[in-house]
Amino acid sequence: MKKSHLYLVGLAASLAMAGTATQALADDEITRGQLMAASCKACHNAAAADSGVPDLNRIPADVIVSQMKAFRDGDRDATIMDRHAKGYTDEEMEAMAGYFSRF
Amino acid sequence: MHNFNRRNFLKVAGISSAAALTGVGCATNGMRGADKAHVVVVGGGSGGATAAKYIKQFSPNMRVTLIEPNATYYTCYGSNWVIGGFAGMDDIAHGYDTLRDDYGIEIVQDRVTAVDAAARSVRLAGGDSMGYDKLVMSPGIDFRYDDMPGISEADADRIPHAWKAGSQTELLRSQLRNMPNGGVFVMVAPPNPFRCPPGPYERVSLVANYFKQEKPRSKIIILDPKDGFSKQGLFEEGWAEHYGDMIEWRAGSAGGRAEEIDVNNMTVLADSGFERVRADVLNFIPAQRAAQIAHDAGLTNDAGWVPVDQLTFKSEMDDNIYVLGDSSVAGAMPKSGHSANNQGKIVAAAIVREVSGQEPINPSSANTCYSLVTPDYAISVAAVYQYQDGAMAGVSGAGGVSPSGASSSFRRREAEYTRAWYAGITHDIWG
Repeated sequence: MKKSHLYLVGLAASLAMAGTATQALADDEITRGQLMAASCKACHNAAAADSGVPDLNRIPADVIVSQMKAFRDGDRDATIMDRHAKGYTDEEMEAMAGYFSRF
Repeated sequence: MHNFNRRNFLKVAGISSAAALTGVGCATNGMRGADKAHVVVVGGGSGGATAAKYIKQFSPNMRVTLIEPNATYYTCYGSNWVIGGFAGMDDIAHGYDTLRDDYGIEIVQDRVTAVDAAARSVRLAGGDSMGYDKLVMSPGIDFRYDDMPGISEADADRIPHAWKAGSQTELLRSQLRNMPNGGVFVMVAPPNPFRCPPGPYERVSLVANYFKQEKPRSKIIILDPKDGFSKQGLFEEGWAEHYGDMIEWRAGSAGGRAEEIDVNNMTVLADSGFERVRADVLNFIPAQRAAQIAHDAGLTNDAGWVPVDQLTFKSEMDDNIYVLGDSSVAGAMPKSGHSANNQGKIVAAAIVREVSGQEPINPSSANTCYSLVTPDYAISVAAVYQYQDGAMAGVSGAGGVSPSGASSSFRRREAEYTRAWYAGITHDIWG
């Protein structure tokens, strides 16, 4: 088996475990979650990661959701993410978070 | 006849989408109608370059052409760092090689001189015409010099606006360098609406930072037609802490409204002619409107901006033209690079879905805007937007500005995030 196939098997397995991620992948069209995740990528990408802004492509979906809720609810110290997180419902956070594993 | 393609194979194999196969790099939406469409994007700034890149991310087989006159794009955001003397032009320069080589976007270095909406084609200064199925315009702003007696656009080589980054940025920087200690820097701020609402006030902050170090007896006067400005309380808190009384802001109702500029004497007439303010360096930032090409294409309203359906940023005037960024009317979204970047994604999704015969997505969007008061002290404003009742509106309870009275370590962290934001967003757009 070629290396890329092994990668795919691993990817499929990891997606299957992350419930929200498989949900986002169900539609073969651009979803609202995908568009919202694209919005986050203005800051949260590989280029900003050196400066302490996490690259969300590398963060598991459940961690993104739990941290967004913590920012929103004041359970995690923030400079600006508290102000952003208050703009999203639980469902929107899950829809966004599930998307990053696709990039 | 069953077409046993890759996607069906994956479904059989129990993997939920073909998108999984593309794996790293981009998320692919395999829409058949999209493969045939040709999208032409006018303007390679934050809005246009983002739209071009995300169309290719969403639908890699779609043909996308980006038309931009300049080989190198200088961001307006970050240009105040150059004016303040702690960054170079290279730090705010971006090219189109990655968009061409890695994303397959056709880059045409030319200027669009006319849009023929009926024929669905654009004419280029070089003489060629180019047809499109969908046109994306992100042409930015032009200035209303006619609104200010005494000065014209030709005077910008002596009295820079520096509100489009590039040679104007360098000119203002060089004038500030040549100004003697004890000189007066006068900024004439623009009326609403204008590109980058906190930008003028960040600029005077960073000029003050330069003066404090190099020319401490100098003075800064802002003549403002407005009675308030973005992040005002936070700027004034930072100015008092770092610059004492070096910066004087005059509100419109307190004599700040400039009425005429005497170019030869470098003097601004204000307060019904009672006040004559002489400048050693004068930065006149004119009133603004959508770029000329949007007017020529018949896309603007009486106020000089482009009305769009804010669900998709499709022009209200033409079904095949989308307009985003500073030239558009975008509800509560400010004219910022971050807004333009987010709108580029909304437009990309809207076009890919439309040519695939799908309904638009109700968009959610955000703005993040940092301003440096010193190189190590920043303040920010954030907002989340959703489409509601026909316009992009701020989500209540979210967003807002940095806290007042925050610690110096908080301000320093926001200054670090300012640079991270710049690295991130420019990578998202051009990288």
